[in-house]
Amino acid sequence: MQDWESAEVENVEKEKVMILKNFSDYYKNAEIEVPAVEQREFGVGGFKKKIESRHMGFKTNGALKNYLVQDAPLYISHSIAYYKFPESTPMERKEWMGGDLIFDLDVHAGMFLTAEEIEHVKRDAIMLVEDFLEKDFGVSKKDVTLVFSGGRGFHIHVKTPRFRYLGGDERREIADYIAGAGLDYKKFFGKVDKYRMGGPKKSDWGYRGRFCRMVEKTLEENPSSIHRGLKKPEAKEKLLGCMDDGNWSKTPIKDIIERLEGAAKEMKLESVDVDTGVTIDTKRLIRVPNTLHGSTGLIAKKLDKLEGFEPYRDALAFGKEPIKIRAKQDLPEQEFANSTMEKIEKEEEKEVPKSYGIYLILKDAATLS
Amino acid sequence: MELNFACKYPFTEEGKQAIKENNIQINDEITERGVKRIVDALNRVQRTANPVHISDQLIEIGSYGAARMMLAHLRNRYLSNKFAIAEAKKASSLMARETKENIKRLQNELGVVPGEFEGKVVVPLEVYVKFSPRSVDYRLINRNVKEGHVEVSRREVLRLMEEAVKMKVEDIGLFPNAPEIVKKYSVKLMKLVPKTAPSKMSFKEGENPPCIEKLLETAKKHENLGHQGRWTLAVYLINKGVPYEKILQIFSNFPDYDERVASYQIKHAINRGYTVPSCGMLLSYGLCIAECKIGNPLRWKTWKRKK
Ligand code: SF4
Repeated sequence: MQDWESAEVENVEKEKVMILKNFSDYYKNAEIEVPAVEQREFGVGGFKKKIESRHMGFKTNGALKNYLVQDAPLYISHSIAYYKFPESTPMERKEWMGGDLIFDLDVHAGMFLTAEEIEHVKRDAIMLVEDFLEKDFGVSKKDVTLVFSGGRGFHIHVKTPRFRYLGGDERREIADYIAGAGLDYKKFFGKVDKYRMGGPKKSDWGYRGRFCRMVEKTLEENPSSIHRGLKKPEAKEKLLGCMDDGNWSKTPIKDIIERLEGAAKEMKLESVDVDTGVTIDTKRLIRVPNTLHGSTGLIAKKLDKLEGFEPYRDALAFGKEPIKIRAKQDLPEQEFANSTMEKIEKEEEKEVPKSYGIYLILKDAATLS
Repeated sequence: MELNFACKYPFTEEGKQAIKENNIQINDEITERGVKRIVDALNRVQRTANPVHISDQLIEIGSYGAARMMLAHLRNRYLSNKFAIAEAKKASSLMARETKENIKRLQNELGVVPGEFEGKVVVPLEVYVKFSPRSVDYRLINRNVKEGHVEVSRREVLRLMEEAVKMKVEDIGLFPNAPEIVKKYSVKLMKLVPKTAPSKMSFKEGENPPCIEKLLETAKKHENLGHQGRWTLAVYLINKGVPYEKILQIFSNFPDYDERVASYQIKHAINRGYTVPSCGMLLSYGLCIAECKIGNPLRWKTWKRKK
């Protein structure tokens, strides 16, 4: 019993040493560049917790890099906020000077992200940037930083003076808008006078415009899902006419608003499931771009574009040289580092590329053998 | 003319300027008027009539300054809030009949400058979210938004300006070493403040879900709450079995509390036996602030206290 226990401890140590060494090596050549680094608070985490200590500060990116090479923390994040005194405590003493606007997109994934999950979260990120940030909020691309989180999604940093000083409540309005939280399409309609029903029109912006496009699409593809009569061209024209000028009394269909429920649901699909809690927190710590994620060993990589990005190919920090591991659980076949990793059974020992091995160990699915 | 503007809108640069240029000094008359200004705010007496004589105008402007000094000295959030609301309401009713030129000046000063975009009246998104009242109709999600512009009506611009005034007036700095006269009248003022002593909440920590905690927090801080927030809080407390008097006491913390209205609303809610709105509902009100996954705030269990 005694022996068994101490053996276990030794093993853990062995993995830790290997991982820290590799993390440190990675940082020797990594490009880490935090804008306004001297105004940020930093927090680091290790094997126990993602954030074990915070209120740290670095005067320059060089100092930050030295620290990373020397200490090789498993996780490191910086404040989205800018502070006058980032290292002071309690928080009030730091003197908040605004912060970046941050969005966190995540999928709930198992051991590995599936291809569909990756596609889904990528699509969301693209929609967030192009449809919401650019089209609706007028943010220019150059103010947007796209980062793979190193785990199961993306972080989107928006740095513009326009949004810098927004408080939590104001950020919530923005996050809820993007998430479509509390969206009620029936609110788009209202009586203009005794006879006329006002509603959204095609030229409207934001969700009203989106809604009209959905109705148009439904009319195109499956008009009878709204009302049987809409198969007739005249009836269809009339409904389309409503959306030209926002006068919804032109259609004879009495309960038209209720009947558009389906189109409204589709519109909801065009919103993006951002984590509101992250966006509204003006003192949040967020993973430093291009550092490593301690639960995967993947790089939280800054990306120029999302198209074509494959985390298990493009965010690898370690090479292909083999290491020998022992699986703690059954592992499926998996694409990794441009090749197919074979199935591994529980307790099986196997040589795998280092990047894959570290991934498994950090996920607590394997040990060094 | 200038003095007239400063007198109507003493919170502006012109107001400050007027005090400097005319060398308005704090004295008994001015401070007395300052006290009245705050007491009127507490009692919701709206005074929109403006003095025409220069000497009266100077006192009027000075009284605003004196009121702020007392509030800064007292550091009483409840009073400051009430005062800010009253000043904003007053400014708003004056602005409603203001000349175009003066409106422009105010807009620049307050940072609520509407523009035109694709033929619509708009304000920048960041300005909109900062100054829009927290009510469903003003929620960003229900608005027309494009390229960083939010469409607003003329009337809504005024509403945003009113909120901006309120925030400006509310923003009172520290005032250490207040002069004797300010201290003296502050004491006088406190004697005139009705004793609806802001109550203790006396809930245990973690007894209520985050959204409700936040609503209670708002009351504690004497900040205002939109209609939905107030209603949710009332219905929640009723359903939790908090007695009527206690609820009324909690509500008395809101700066725009009116006992008659509040007691009617609460009794009404009790009689109708309203159920607590679901988490989904609260989300649409913009009141949900966590993901407790409990469906309804009432389902919050004390064991959830420490996550
Ligand atoms: S999930 Fe429900 S209980 Fe929790 S904060 Fe939101 S509304 Fe309140």
